[in-house]
Amino acid sequence: MFVFLEFLVFKTEEMEINLGPQHPSTHGVLRVKLRLDGETVVQCTPIIGYLHRGVEKICENKTWFQGQVWTDRMDYVAAVTNNLGWAEGVEKLFGIQVPRRAHYVRTLLAELNRIASHQLWLATHALDIGAMTVFLYCFRDREAILDIFEAFCGARLTTTAFRIGGLREDVPPGMDRMVRNFLKAFSTGIEEYETLLSENRIWKKRTVGVAKLQAKDAVALGITGPVLRAAGVPYDVRKAFPSAAYAEMDFQIATRPEADTYARYLVRLEEMRQSARIVQQCLDGLPEGPVMAKIPKILKSEVCEVYHSIEAPKGELGYYFVGEKGGANPYRMHVRAPSFVNLQALPKMTEGNLLADVIAAIGTLDVVLGEIDR
Amino acid sequence: MTAMTLTQSFVTALLQIVVLALFVFVAVPVIVFAERKVIGYVQLRLGYTRIAGGLHGVTGGLNRLMWWMGKLPFFSILRGFPSFIADGIKLFTKEDIVPEKADWWVFHFAPAISVVAAFTVLGIVSFSPAPLWTWPAAVPIVGGLPFAGVISDVNVGLLMLVGVASVGVYGIVLGGWASNSKYPLLGGLRSAAQIVSYEVPLTFSLLVPVVLSGTLNFTQMSQYLSGAPIQTSAGPAQMPALAILPLFIGFFIYLTCGFAETNRVPFDLPEAETELVAGFHTEYTGMKFGLFYLAEYANMIIVAAVAAAFFLGGHHFLPFGLQRFIPPSVPVVGGASFGWFLLWMALILFSYLWVRATLPRYRYDQLMHVGWKWLIPLSLANLCLAALVRYFA
Amino acid sequence: MASFLRTLIPLDIYGGMKLTGKYFGKVLREANRARIRTHVVCEYPEVPVKLQPRFRGRLTLLKDEQGEIKCICCLACEKICPTQVITIEKGKKEGRKLPYPVRYDFEMERCIFCEFCVESCGFDSIILNHQFELAAYNREDFSIGMEGRFQNMFELSPVARYSVAEEAQR
Ligand code: SF4
Ligand code: SF4
Repeated sequence: MFVFLEFLVFKTEEMEINLGPQHPSTHGVLRVKLRLDGETVVQCTPIIGYLHRGVEKICENKTWFQGQVWTDRMDYVAAVTNNLGWAEGVEKLFGIQVPRRAHYVRTLLAELNRIASHQLWLATHALDIGAMTVFLYCFRDREAILDIFEAFCGARLTTTAFRIGGLREDVPPGMDRMVRNFLKAFSTGIEEYETLLSENRIWKKRTVGVAKLQAKDAVALGITGPVLRAAGVPYDVRKAFPSAAYAEMDFQIATRPEADTYARYLVRLEEMRQSARIVQQCLDGLPEGPVMAKIPKILKSEVCEVYHSIEAPKGELGYYFVGEKGGANPYRMHVRAPSFVNLQALPKMTEGNLLADVIAAIGTLDVVLGEIDR
Repeated sequence: MTAMTLTQSFVTALLQIVVLALFVFVAVPVIVFAERKVIGYVQLRLGYTRIAGGLHGVTGGLNRLMWWMGKLPFFSILRGFPSFIADGIKLFTKEDIVPEKADWWVFHFAPAISVVAAFTVLGIVSFSPAPLWTWPAAVPIVGGLPFAGVISDVNVGLLMLVGVASVGVYGIVLGGWASNSKYPLLGGLRSAAQIVSYEVPLTFSLLVPVVLSGTLNFTQMSQYLSGAPIQTSAGPAQMPALAILPLFIGFFIYLTCGFAETNRVPFDLPEAETELVAGFHTEYTGMKFGLFYLAEYANMIIVAAVAAAFFLGGHHFLPFGLQRFIPPSVPVVGGASFGWFLLWMALILFSYLWVRATLPRYRYDQLMHVGWKWLIPLSLANLCLAALVRYFA
Repeated sequence: MASFLRTLIPLDIYGGMKLTGKYFGKVLREANRARIRTHVVCEYPEVPVKLQPRFRGRLTLLKDEQGEIKCICCLACEKICPTQVITIEKGKKEGRKLPYPVRYDFEMERCIFCEFCVESCGFDSIILNHQFELAAYNREDFSIGMEGRFQNMFELSPVARYSVAEEAQR
């Protein structure tokens, strides 16, 4: 009606802005192209590929044994779970039976790594939202886990922890004590994170109702892991397709119905607690016996294909192998990286929200660029 | 006191300015040092304990010295002290980059605005009720004259304080705009909205002391608000006991707004480093960045000084007008002194660092929400309370 | 009303401030002095780092009691190495029946410290030692061989000969 008065209205312009690849809170080299109207996000396009190393192609040229070292470098904050997926996938392909003790140790380490990964997530997520101190408190407790890894396999981050058929060596003496000490410190540590964040009004304001992703959308996008569980879908590969020693463990799947950032925070905290429970059970019920199955020196595959997935800290981590006849290396190898799939939710979560929510959304998705770009 | 000649007052003021500038130039690195140490300690770190340069040469010697200092009880806190100088040298010698498309004049002018505003305000802050010292007669020109604890004791002190301090925001807005870059622009705009909206509750909460004391003069106000009986031109006066309540509430509102005014956590949106890289000063390097830095910390000093003067007992020991319970005859804690003022200032500054280490950051719209929906009504109610107290007491 | 009061009285913030304040006081009191420290930093160059026994550091060739190189050039390590950083040349040495590695080159810059080589060696002739200060100024310093300008495989490499921890103790 008042079209003729249009000249009185301020002409506004949408602004395009690059968040990353060099930006303090894109967790590596994620680039997000944002179209902003003021501070409101109109369009959000994640652009990836800055860390591409061709892991899948490299693995096709490495033997079944060697490939494991590349998995360390995909999700570098959860190397042990990546190793677990690789080792179990190859074992499934060759039908190798792994001793029970090895299964327990693997479960123990993988759960410790889940705690470490979630701690790193909490640390960086809190830092993104501005709480600096949680960062160091998380790293204090994570340090103990890395020490345990160092005691077990000699490296802290790029662990290469397992071998096809079991473990390279049995657990070192004294690791038992280290893990128990860690569990004790962790139970107070997690209380401290909660004191600093859970009830804090600013934290709640920044997270409650922010970056919502409803269950319907999450399932449609193929989201897995804590992001899916925080939308109320109780899907956990550890329960759905238990591998390692998960079938013998007693733990709950943490879910929340709210589907927002705060719910994801609570789900991950609860997961850390459950992981600590699993670690405790592994430690108490660690069976005696060998840790390595009898396997040939050189593995030669038949024509076959195998998909094996495990629950990585970020979601469902799947390894897909195609073997050829007499192949000493995979004919084709593909990784279903949880971060890669989860990142797809970013536009859905952020469009229409504010710029600061993009940061919270990237943080809450817990993406690791090494895994996305592979 | 004999009247000063024009030259004398001019020279005195000049000397005071020099002393004040020196004070700021020393205090700011001390605060920066304390900030790193406090946040380090809170986060179970040690803050900085060494300087670059490994173990050789002068820096190596200093590093060794600091390593030994770490074994001594008190000195272990002071490890990393040469970084004062190192930071300064770095800021002064760093390459000064001006973005090609930046507005040259505004880009250079913006940091100056911030700093000038901050320093001007410091000029009316009354640091000490009594003269700090008297020049010995042998000193030329100013011999025999007192050296007052305030440069210019204007009778509309508070008005000037609020007015000039808000000019500082121009530095930030213009700096953000002149950089001709998107992140600084967003930072500058955020800061404009933030500071304008927090100015309101800040002023309202500062009106509480004004209403209670009935004056705008910095020194008189802080003396009256300490609660100690004072002599005014209209006879002896003392703050009513009930006034403690509005003063107490006002203090917390003031502190919250002060955090927002100085762009500190949890209101550090203009420079929210995880969102806007470095906010309005993203494109600034070298000493121009240093000036912004200096202005920010000088503003912190101002907020702390004002809080100490009006809410925390001025130059007295007890805050919120509780000084009334200590007769002036008691030694040390009974009287007014520069030391108490500095102590309270230091505590406020410590609370800045403490809060920074603990709290997350608000989102932009939430910040506005807090400002308009909570702080403004609260401060208005508090002002009414103060008025009632004043009326009935 | 309850929520109004909760918003007005910041108990949640008080809890967090109490926690951080507690740690501040603790570290302030104990910085560098108490036996059990609250702070978690290791002051690395001055205080050497404690490594776990299984730590995977740089590759080293071992010698037996007679001072002979244990390696007999079975090339297992060369084959298993995922990044192909080991190059061995088989040769002969007077007075030694077993093959002798004339050349055992190790490109440290590409090594990923996976310990596959050590695992594959059936003669225990290599280990990964506990050296982790491996930075160098030149690219050539990372090429480690048995002889020549850039040191050999037996001792600390020139790269790692400079240890900050040792320097600090002197
Ligand atoms: S540690 Fe791994 S990468 Fe390094 S030389 Fe041995 S096998 Fe190769
Ligand atoms: S595996 Fe051992 S013996 Fe064989 S070449 Fe390598 S180091 Fe020598």
